[in-house]
Amino acid sequence: MQSDEQLMGEFQNGSEKAFDELFERYKKLVYGFFRRRMSNAARAEELAQETFIAILRGAERYEPRARFRTYVFAIAMKQLWSERREEMRAGRVDAEAEEASSQSDPATVLWIRGALEQLDADRREVLMLREYEQLTYEEISEVLVLPVNTVRSRLSRARHDLKALLESQSANGVSR
Amino acid sequence: MSRKEHPIWEDELMPFIDGQLDEERASAIAHHVKDCSECSATVADTRKMSDQLAWEVEEPSGRMKERVQAEVRSRKAIPQTRVAWWTRNRVWAFGLSAAFVGVVLVFALRTPDTVVLQWDKKTGASPQAPLTGVVVQPGQQGQFGGQQGQGQQGQQGQQGQAGGMLGRFELERAQQGGQRQQPGQGGKPQISPSFASPDSGPMIVRSARLTIVTRNFDKARSRIEEIAQQSQGYLGQLTAQENAGLAKRLSATLRLPSMQMERALVELRKLGSVKDESQNNSDVTAQSVDLQARITNSRNTEQRLLNLLRERTGRLPDVIDAEREVARVREDIERMEAQQKDIFSRVQYATVQVELSEEYRAAIETGVPGVGTRFRNAAIKGYEDARESVVSVALFAVRYGPVCLLWSPMIALAVVLLRRAHRVLSD
Repeated sequence: MQSDEQLMGEFQNGSEKAFDELFERYKKLVYGFFRRRMSNAARAEELAQETFIAILRGAERYEPRARFRTYVFAIAMKQLWSERREEMRAGRVDAEAEEASSQSDPATVLWIRGALEQLDADRREVLMLREYEQLTYEEISEVLVLPVNTVRSRLSRARHDLKALLESQSANGVSR
Repeated sequence: MSRKEHPIWEDELMPFIDGQLDEERASAIAHHVKDCSECSATVADTRKMSDQLAWEVEEPSGRMKERVQAEVRSRKAIPQTRVAWWTRNRVWAFGLSAAFVGVVLVFALRTPDTVVLQWDKKTGASPQAPLTGVVVQPGQQGQFGGQQGQGQQGQQGQQGQAGGMLGRFELERAQQGGQRQQPGQGGKPQISPSFASPDSGPMIVRSARLTIVTRNFDKARSRIEEIAQQSQGYLGQLTAQENAGLAKRLSATLRLPSMQMERALVELRKLGSVKDESQNNSDVTAQSVDLQARITNSRNTEQRLLNLLRERTGRLPDVIDAEREVARVREDIERMEAQQKDIFSRVQYATVQVELSEEYRAAIETGVPGVGTRFRNAAIKGYEDARESVVSVALFAVRYGPVCLLWSPMIALAVVLLRRAHRVLSD
C-alpha cells in the first residue's frame, strides 16, 4: 500500500487517481475533525470540502519533508481558526442544537461536547487532536506550532481536568 | 513520595498510555505500573476516560466528494517536469528568473530611446530635436524660446516668429488636439507621442534630484552644461562655491524636455559617484482638466457679457457695471491661462536638481617657504638675536652700571673690615 506522501507525489505528477485515494483515506477524518468542533453538520462539511480544495490548490507547494497527515490537519486547523474568527466578527455563536446525524448516541454526544467545552480551550484542542485525530505528540506540536513539552503538559492537564469533572459529575449523580 | 520510591511521574505516564515513549522506557514503566497500584489506577482511569470520549461521526455526504472531484477535474494536472524542476533545482529556477527580470529591465530602460528614434523616423527631424507634448506652433515657439533663452527651442522660436504670433485661444485648442507641428514643415500636423495633452493621456510633472561626488570637478561642471544643451534643455540656475581648504561644490537646476530626462540622468550619473538620487512624478491631469473647464466657462461668460453690451443699451451705471464685470472675467481668464501655461511648461520640461561636490583631497600648503629660505631666515634671525643681546647687555650696563660703581667700594671696604676682625679674633 502506498503511503500518503507517495500518493501526493503522484498527484503532483498529474495522477488524479492518487488524489481520489487520498480523499477516500482522509474524508472522514477531516469531516470528523470539523464535525466534533462544531454543531452545524452542513458547515462542518463545507469546511472539510474547503480543506481538500486548499490541499488541491496548494499541492504544488507541498514537499514530502512534511508528513501528509500533519499537513492536512494543519490546513484544517487554519480553516477552523479562520471560521472562529469569522464567527466572532459576525457575533455568531456555534450553539445550535446537536443535529441528530452523528453515529453516536445524541445524548452521549451532548455529554461529551458539554464536558469538552468545560475544559480550557488550549488544553481541549490538544486533547481532541490526541483522542480523535490520533495524532502523535510531535504531530500535535507541528499542527498547533507548540513545543512537544507544552503538548505533553497540556494533554496531561486536560486529562486531569476531565477526570476531576467526571468525578464531580459522579458525585452529583450525573452519568452518561 | 520520592523519585527513588516512585520512579514514574505523571508526565511520563501519559506518553506511556499514548504509546509515545521509546521501547526501553515504555518497558520500564510497564514493569513499574504492574507493581504500583497508584500508577495502575491512573492508567486504567485514563483509558476508561478515553473510552468514554469515544465519538463516532457519520460519513460525510456524497456532495462533498462530488465537489472535490469536480475541483480535481477542473484543475490541470501539474506537469511532472515543473514540480521536479522547481523543487529540485531551485538554483536554476532563481537564476533563470533573475535573467528574465534582467532582460525585461534592459528593455524597459531602453524604451525612451526607442520612442525617440521611432518618432524621429516619422518626423524626419534630428534625433536631438526636442520632443514636446503640446503643439508647438511657430508663434508659440517664439514665446517659449524667449523664456528659455537657450537650446534649440530658442532657435525654433526665432524661426517661428516668421509665422506670426498665435492667439492664446488657438494655442489652447491646439493643445487639446494633442498635435505637434514642426517649424518649417508647412504646418503639416503630426501625431505627437504626447503626454501633455489632457486628451492623450496623463500629464505628468517629472522631477529628479541627484547628489554626485566627482573627482574632476571642473570637467563635471562643463559636462553638466553640455548635457543640458544636448538634451535640448537649459540650466535654470547654477551656484558654485569654492573655498580654500574645502571641497568645491555646485548646485545646478536643469530644465530638460521630459522625454529626455531619463537619458540625461544616465549621462549625469556618469559624472561621478551618485550618493543620493530621487525621482518624483506628479500627475496634474485633473488639475489641468479642471482649469481648462473653468477657462471655457469664464470665456463663455465673457462672450455673453460682450453680447449684452453690444446688443442692449441701458443706463450708464449699468453699462459701467457690465464693463467692470467683463474686466473681472477677463482677468480671471488671463490668470487661469497663465496657470495652464505653467502646468504645460512643467509637464513639458522636467526639473533635475544636481548637487555636485568635489572629492576633497588635502593639498600641500603652498605658503611654507623652501629650505634655503628657511636657512637664510634663520641666519638673519640669529644675527638679529646676537645684535639684540649685545644691545641688551649695553643697555643693562648703562642702566645698572652707576649703581654698581657706587656700591662696589663700600661692599669691598666692608669685606676687608670683616676679614680683619676675623683674623684678630682667631689670634
